[in-house]
Amino acid sequence: MSDDSGLWLLALGPAGAAGLYWMLYRYYRNTDKSHAYERETAVDAKPVTGSDQKVNEIKGTRETRIRGDNVRAYRKRVQRIRSDTSEVR
Amino acid sequence: MSKTNNPPPVPPYTGPGSPQDVPPEPGSFPIDPATLPEPIRDELLAPDPVAIDTAAEELKDGLNRCPKCGSTEIRQKPGSDLLICLFCRNEWQGERVEEEFGLGAGLDELEGTIIASGARDIEADAAALMTFKCTGCGAEVTVNTENAMTARCHWCRHVFGVNEQVANGAVPDAVLPFHIRKDDAVARIRQFVGKRQMFALKEFKEQFTPENVIGVYLPYMIVDGKASVEVAGHGEIETRRYTQGSGDKKKTYYDADVYQVGRHVDFTVDDLPLESSSERGNLDIGTNTNNIINTILPFDTKNAVKWNASFLAGFSSEKRDRDVEQLRPHLEDQLLSIARAQVEQSVSRYDRGVRWEQEGLDVHGTRWVAMYLPVWLYSYHQPGSNGGLLHYIAVNGRTGETMGSVPVQQWKLLTAALTVGTILEGIALLILGNS
Repeated sequence: MSDDSGLWLLALGPAGAAGLYWMLYRYYRNTDKSHAYERETAVDAKPVTGSDQKVNEIKGTRETRIRGDNVRAYRKRVQRIRSDTSEVR
Repeated sequence: MSKTNNPPPVPPYTGPGSPQDVPPEPGSFPIDPATLPEPIRDELLAPDPVAIDTAAEELKDGLNRCPKCGSTEIRQKPGSDLLICLFCRNEWQGERVEEEFGLGAGLDELEGTIIASGARDIEADAAALMTFKCTGCGAEVTVNTENAMTARCHWCRHVFGVNEQVANGAVPDAVLPFHIRKDDAVARIRQFVGKRQMFALKEFKEQFTPENVIGVYLPYMIVDGKASVEVAGHGEIETRRYTQGSGDKKKTYYDADVYQVGRHVDFTVDDLPLESSSERGNLDIGTNTNNIINTILPFDTKNAVKWNASFLAGFSSEKRDRDVEQLRPHLEDQLLSIARAQVEQSVSRYDRGVRWEQEGLDVHGTRWVAMYLPVWLYSYHQPGSNGGLLHYIAVNGRTGETMGSVPVQQWKLLTAALTVGTILEGIALLILGNS
């Protein structure tokens, strides 16, 4: 009973309780909602340009995603580069 | 403590006013509702109030009053750009600001900051209370522009409104009249709360009177912009996946190629709405439920009509207290988010994800228009520490999109969660006992 899978099963109860509480709380209070301007604004974008350069190879990692993956977290701001030719005010 | 006239510097745009999470797709749940007990599942799957798509045909006409007889029985004359009054048969061209001020065109050529007259900076000494001489009888009548734009003269019953633009920011460039009627809004709120009954606060349910909903015109800045965004980071592509060990010790390993990724996108945005009231723009979910009102955006702002205070008769309104420069960090934040969403498709080959590390924004031009947008608001004050919490249920006055915050009865919700947790734990123990 001390193997890995057994201990994992014990977490099922607390995890299920917390998950259900969190989901129902959000369903009633809608604290996670806001204006989805990324989807709901009329945006007219020119084709995306860019560069891709291979810089490294990783062997035998156990992580399923890149560390700090934020490709879908549009609203998480990262380091801001300020260009000299900044906007006309 | 000395008082200075300079406003405090605008704090960096994180936390309050900018929910950091991208909202989930409508109707999506983190747990599959089919796995939940039946009463909970029924609540979750009950239909939502129907919202009209902002691009819908029904909204193309834009409510306006007949200039001849004042009736609102106005339809678009089929096959033409004319509006026709069904009451007196008068025909005229609707004064939509979109065409009148040329707001829809030239997004590609935007340069610098163009501010419409109603969106100009608020003068520091401008008062909210304004006194007018009644045009009917000459009496002095006061209008508190904090919450109303029309008043009735208490002597001669003549109704008049604040039509000329004043320096206190109360008069916008345009107004989007209510399209959703009150009974319709009440029905939507009833439906919305109807599917959130089981764990709702008892007092909330007892005092629930959606007929008390009020129509409010809330101040927004509608922004068009042209910008370029540059993002840089690292992406990984999986090249090999293998497992080592056997049985319980089995572990999966991955090999990946790491790429330096850079993306550039030029884009224009059309009619991005920003809250121009500092109170409404504070979206800190710990202290208020303004995110509810934020969620029912956007509006079909293309149909806004030129400002006329008579649209506000019978409705409440709130005054703008933020200027263009104060809203600029907010705009830049949203432009960056939009750009990150735009480039997502172009990095889909990085199946292990991309970590953006740097981003740069170049705003070429913006155009700001102040607008009053119609919202039906139902509120419930939940008592508690720090003055409690004001829960809103809001209905978009044009599209009917409904969103709300229903206070929960904590002990009920906890009991339900613990019950489900206990059952799951029981199953887990049963499996362990048998193994």
